[in-house]
Amino acid sequence: MIKSKHKSFVENLLFALNIFIIFFLVFGSGIVIPQWLQPVGRLHPLILHFPIVVLIMAMMLEFFRFKERFSTEKLYHDFTTYLWLTGAIFAAFTAIMGLFLSKEPGYEGSTLQWHKWLGAGVVFVSTIIYWCRSAGWYNVKVARSGAAVVVLSLVLAGHFGADLTHGDNFVLAPVWHPEKKLVPVDKALVYRDVIQPIFESKCISCHNPDKTKGGLMLIDEKSILKGGKDGKLIVPGQPQISLLLQRIHLVAEDKKHMPPSGKPQLTPDELNMLYLWVKENADFKKKVIDLPVHDSLRLIASTYLKPAEETEEKYDFAAADDKLIKKLNNNYRVIYPLAKESPALGVNIYNKSTYQPKALEELSAIKQQVVSLDVSKMPVKDAELKTIAQFENLHVLNLNFTDITGSGLKELAKLKYLKMISLAGTPLNAAAVKQISAIKGLTKITLWDTGLTDAEVQNLQKHSKNIEFIKSFKDDGKPIKLNDPQLKNTTLVFAKSIPLQLSHPIKGVELRYTTDGTNPDSVKSAIYKPGLELSQNTGVKVKAYKSGWLSSDVVQFNVFKSTYTPDSISFIAPPNTKYSADGAKSLIDKDLGGTNFGNGKWIGAQKNIEIYMQFAKPVDLHTITINCLRNLGSQIFLPIGIEIWGGADINHMKLLSNVIPPAAKKDDPAMAMGIDCKLNTAKPVTCLKIIAKNIQNLPSWDSVKKGPEWAFMDEIFLN
Amino acid sequence: MAMEKDILEHRLNINRRRFLSRLSLGIGSIALGSLLIPDLFSGSGSESEADFIPGIPNFAPKAKRVIYLFQDGAPSQLESFDYKPKLREMMGQDLPPSVRGNQILTGMTANQAHFPLIGSFYDFKQYGESKAWISDLFPHIGKIADDICIIRSMYTEAINHDPALTFFQTGAQQGNRPSMGSWVSYGLGSENKNLPAFTVLLSKGKGNGQGVYSKLWSNGFLDSIHQGVQFSSSESPVLYLNDQPGIDRRERRKMLDKLAELNDISYKEFGDPEISAKVQQYEMAYRMQSAVPEIMDVSKESDDIIKMYGPDCLVPGTYAANCLLARKLSENGVRFVQLYHQGWDQHSNLPQEMAGQAKDVDQASAALITDLKQRGLLDETLVIWGGEFGRTNYSQGKLEKANYGRDHHPRCFSIWMAGGGIKPGIVYGESDEFGYNIVKDPVHVHDFHATILNQLGLDHKKLTFKSQGRRYRLTDVAGNVVKGILS
Repeated sequence: MIKSKHKSFVENLLFALNIFIIFFLVFGSGIVIPQWLQPVGRLHPLILHFPIVVLIMAMMLEFFRFKERFSTEKLYHDFTTYLWLTGAIFAAFTAIMGLFLSKEPGYEGSTLQWHKWLGAGVVFVSTIIYWCRSAGWYNVKVARSGAAVVVLSLVLAGHFGADLTHGDNFVLAPVWHPEKKLVPVDKALVYRDVIQPIFESKCISCHNPDKTKGGLMLIDEKSILKGGKDGKLIVPGQPQISLLLQRIHLVAEDKKHMPPSGKPQLTPDELNMLYLWVKENADFKKKVIDLPVHDSLRLIASTYLKPAEETEEKYDFAAADDKLIKKLNNNYRVIYPLAKESPALGVNIYNKSTYQPKALEELSAIKQQVVSLDVSKMPVKDAELKTIAQFENLHVLNLNFTDITGSGLKELAKLKYLKMISLAGTPLNAAAVKQISAIKGLTKITLWDTGLTDAEVQNLQKHSKNIEFIKSFKDDGKPIKLNDPQLKNTTLVFAKSIPLQLSHPIKGVELRYTTDGTNPDSVKSAIYKPGLELSQNTGVKVKAYKSGWLSSDVVQFNVFKSTYTPDSISFIAPPNTKYSADGAKSLIDKDLGGTNFGNGKWIGAQKNIEIYMQFAKPVDLHTITINCLRNLGSQIFLPIGIEIWGGADINHMKLLSNVIPPAAKKDDPAMAMGIDCKLNTAKPVTCLKIIAKNIQNLPSWDSVKKGPEWAFMDEIFLN
Repeated sequence: MAMEKDILEHRLNINRRRFLSRLSLGIGSIALGSLLIPDLFSGSGSESEADFIPGIPNFAPKAKRVIYLFQDGAPSQLESFDYKPKLREMMGQDLPPSVRGNQILTGMTANQAHFPLIGSFYDFKQYGESKAWISDLFPHIGKIADDICIIRSMYTEAINHDPALTFFQTGAQQGNRPSMGSWVSYGLGSENKNLPAFTVLLSKGKGNGQGVYSKLWSNGFLDSIHQGVQFSSSESPVLYLNDQPGIDRRERRKMLDKLAELNDISYKEFGDPEISAKVQQYEMAYRMQSAVPEIMDVSKESDDIIKMYGPDCLVPGTYAANCLLARKLSENGVRFVQLYHQGWDQHSNLPQEMAGQAKDVDQASAALITDLKQRGLLDETLVIWGGEFGRTNYSQGKLEKANYGRDHHPRCFSIWMAGGGIKPGIVYGESDEFGYNIVKDPVHVHDFHATILNQLGLDHKKLTFKSQGRRYRLTDVAGNVVKGILS
C-alpha cells in the first residue's frame, strides 16, 4: 500500500501535469522542443500502452463499484482509487510525450488533431472524476457514464494514434479491401491507375496531409512534383538522378531506404514500374494503351489491370435459315455458328482437289451472315475476290497460300468491317496492300512470304499506325548443324554384296563417306551416290555437308557379310524362354538386334548356348563370326570361350576353333560386338556345333553377385 | 432356340434402355418441367436443358484450336522458367521443415535423411520487353518471351506420374473420363470433316522416361468419334488407313456404300448409336485417305521453315517433326493436337539429361509459335507447353554441383501458354524464394481446364455430359477461369 504522503504527492503531480497540458494546448504553436527532449517525445508510442490497460481496469472496477457485494469492501475501493490515480498519471505523462512528438516534422492534419484532443480529453476527464468520485452526488449513474466516456475516448484516441503510425486501415487491410474497382486496360491511365496505387499502398501512410514525413506528400500530381524537404522527387526522363528512385533502391538497412524497414516493401514489379514511369518522362496523363505494344511498363502494368472490356461483337443482322445452312454444309465446306444465339457464321473450305469457285458463289445466300472465312491453300483466284467482297459483314479473312496476285485485292476494300486479313504466301505488291490498309477497323495484315521487302512493310506501317503488319521473322543468320545421315537398308547382313542406301532428310545435302575407318572430310572423301555396293565386312563412316549449314556428326554403319546360310539350325541346349527370340533361326535371319537385349531379337541364357547347324551340301568355311552383346550393368557378359566343332556328319566332328574373347573389365561400355573364330581346316564341312561358354567365376568387382550371369547373341555370320 | 431368345432379349433390352433414356432426357423432363413451371414454353424462364448444344460455343471463342505440347515426365521448373537464385546460395543446406510443411513425399525420397537444396546448374537470363527469366537451356523460347505467358504458379493434386498425367488430360486421376481433346471435340465439333477433331503425336527423348497410354486420349463416356487419333511416325502415319494393294478408290467407295447399307439395316433393327458412329468413322477414314498424305508431306516446306524448326523436323517421330506436323494439322482445322514428348523424369543425372531434353524441344516449340504467328494463326490457336507436375528444390540422392536429381513436386511448377487470346509477354503467379510453395495467384489444374475451355468459347460449367445417372464436366465441380492471363 502506498502511504498517503506519497499519494498526495502524486495527486499534486497529476494536478500540475494537467495544468502543463492545458498550457501546452493553448500556447502549443509557439513552443519549440529542444533536441534533447525529442527522445522523450518518441517514447510516446511505448508508454501509451500503460494508461490504456491501467485505466480500462480502473474503469471496470469503477463500473461495478456500487454493487452491494463490493460497496463495503475496503480493499476494492482502495485498489480502485490507486489504480485510477496510476492510470491518470500515466495518461498525463503519455499525453505530454505525445505533445512533444507532435512538434516533430511530419505530423499534421485532422487525424492528429482528433488524436491530440481525445488524448488530452482522457487525461482531463479521468483527473476530474478522480477528484469528484468521493462527492455525495456521485452515484451509480454518474460513475458508469464517466467510466464509459473514459473508455470510449481511450479507444478512439488509440485508433487515431494507430492511423497516424501505421496508416489508414492497418489492422483490417490484409482481410478487408475496400472494393477497389479494377480498371480495364483500355481505359487505364498510367499515373492514375498504375503509379498512384503503388504510392497509395506503400507510401501514403507517411506521406499524406496528416503525416507529412520529410515534408513530402504523394497524393496527387501537384504534391508529387513539389517534392519534399530534400528537394524534387523526380526528374522526368532521368530515373538515375531522381530522388524517388534513389531512396527506394537504397539497401534495406540504410536509414533513408523507403519504405522504412518494417513497413511493407515495394515488390520488384513495383520498383520496375516506378523506374519505367520516371524514365518515360513521368507522364501524368498518358493512357496505358498509348504505350507501344511491347513496352515493358505496359506489359507489367497490364498484369495489374483488368483485361480490356469484352468487346464482343454485336451483330444486328438476322440469322440465316437453319435448313439453308444445313444444305450448304458439306464435307469440304464447313459452316458453323460463331456462338450460341449469334446470327454470325464462319466458313472453312478444305480440299484443294475438289475446290470450285462455286463453293464461294453458293454462299451468297448467307452473304450477310458470314463473318469469318478461311480459304487458305485453296486455288482461289483474283476473280473470286469479287464474290468474297459480297460478304459485307466479314471480319476475318484467311487467304494464305491461295492463287491471288494482289490485283484483285482492291475489291476487298469495300469490306468495311474487316479486322484481320491473312495474305501469307501470295505474291503481292505494296500498292495492292495499301488499298486494303485504308479499311478503317483493320487491325492486322499478315504479309509473310508475300515478296514485300522490309522497307515496303515499314512504309505501310508508317501510313497505317493502327494496323499490325506481320512480316517474315528473320533468324539470326547463324548456320545450323545438319542432322545425322540415315541408312535406309532393311538389313545390314548380306551374302555377296549390299547396295548402300544412304539418305538425308534435308534436300541438297552432300554425303561424304569413308570405308577405311578414318573420319570423312569435305574435300578428300568420296561423295555418296546411289548404287554404291559393298562386298566385305565394312564400317562405313558418313558425314553430311551443305553450304549454309554446319556439317553433321560422323555416323558409322556396319555391314556384315555372311556367305553361307545353313539349311537347318537348332539349339542343343535351349536358351532362356524369355530371351529365345524367334527360335534358333533368329541367329541367321539377317536381322541385327541393336543393343537392346529385350527387343525380341536376342538369344540369351544363363548357361552355355549350344547350337547345331547342318548344310545340305558341304561348304568351304574359313571364319565364323558370332555377334554377342556385352552390358555389364545388366549382368550380360561376353562368352568366356567359343568352341566350334565341325565335320562331315554329326558323329565325326572335330574341334575347328577355340577362341577366348577378351576378359571383361569393370568399365567396359555396353555394346554389340562380333567375335571372329578362324577355322583351322581345309576340308568343307556339312555339320557345325557352336558352344558359347557362359562366364563361371564372377569377377571380384561384380557387385551384384546374384549369378549366374547372362550370355546373349543375335546373329552368326558364316564365311 | 436359346440363341434366338437371347437375341430377342438383347433387342428388347436395347430398345427399352433407349426408350427410357430418351424419356428421361427428352419428353419426360419437358413434360415434368411444364407442370412445375407453367411458362416454360412461353419464351422466358429456365435455360437448363438448352444450356449447351454440342458443336456450338456458349460465346464467341478467342481460340478455335489447341496445340498441347505435353512434356511428359515433368520437367523441372527450377531449370527452366522459375528462377531461384536463393537455392544456389543455400546449396547443400537442408530444406527448412517450415517450408515443406505437410507435403507428402514419394517413396523415392521419403526415407532420405536430408533434403539438400540445390540451385539450377544452368544460368538464367532475362528476355524480351517483359524481362522474363528463362534458363540458358531454352534460348529459343527466350526469343519468343514476349509472345508467351509463363505461369509460375501451377499446382496439382497427384504426386505420381500416371495419376498426375491422367488428371491433366482428363480432369480426374482415375482414368475413365474423356480426355480434354475429346471434350473439345464434343463441345465444338470438327472444323474439317476430313480429319479427326482430336489427334495425338508421340515422341521420345533420351532422358529417363515415363509411359503414355491410349487411355489419355480416350473418349471415355463420350461418343467414340471424339477419341484421339494417334498419328504414328512410320510410313503409314494413320494405321490401317491405306488401301490394300489391288483396291482402288472406286472399289473402296463401292465397298463402303454397300457396308453402309448393311449398317443402316442393323441400325434400324438395333438402334445402337455406336453403329452410326461407326459409319461416320468409315466415311471419315475414306476422306482421310486423301487428306492425310497431303498433310504428312513435308517435302514442300521451305528451307527457312526447316531451319526454323531445326533439321530434325524432317526426321519422322522426333519432337521437331511433330511440332511441324502439329502446325500443319492445326492449320487444316484439327481442333486439338496433343503432343507428348517423353523423357523428362530426372530423378538423377538431371543437368545432363535435361540439357538433352531441352535441346529436343526448345527450338521446335519456339518455331511453332513463330510459324503460327507469321501465318496469322496464333490469334486463333492456343499453344500450351508443360508437364504433369514440378520437381523438388532439393536433390534426390547424392548431391554434386553438376550431378543431382529432383523428385516429384506437385505444389508449384511452371508452364507456358501462347496465342488464343492469352495475354502475351507476362509472367503470372509467383513461388516463394525456395521455389517450393506458391505465394501469389495459384492456378489449379481445374482452373487451367476452365481457362482453356473459356478461350474456346465454352463455359466449363455448361459443357456437361450425362453418364450413368450424373452429369460430368471436365472440371468436375471446381475450376475458375484465370482472368489475369486473358488479353
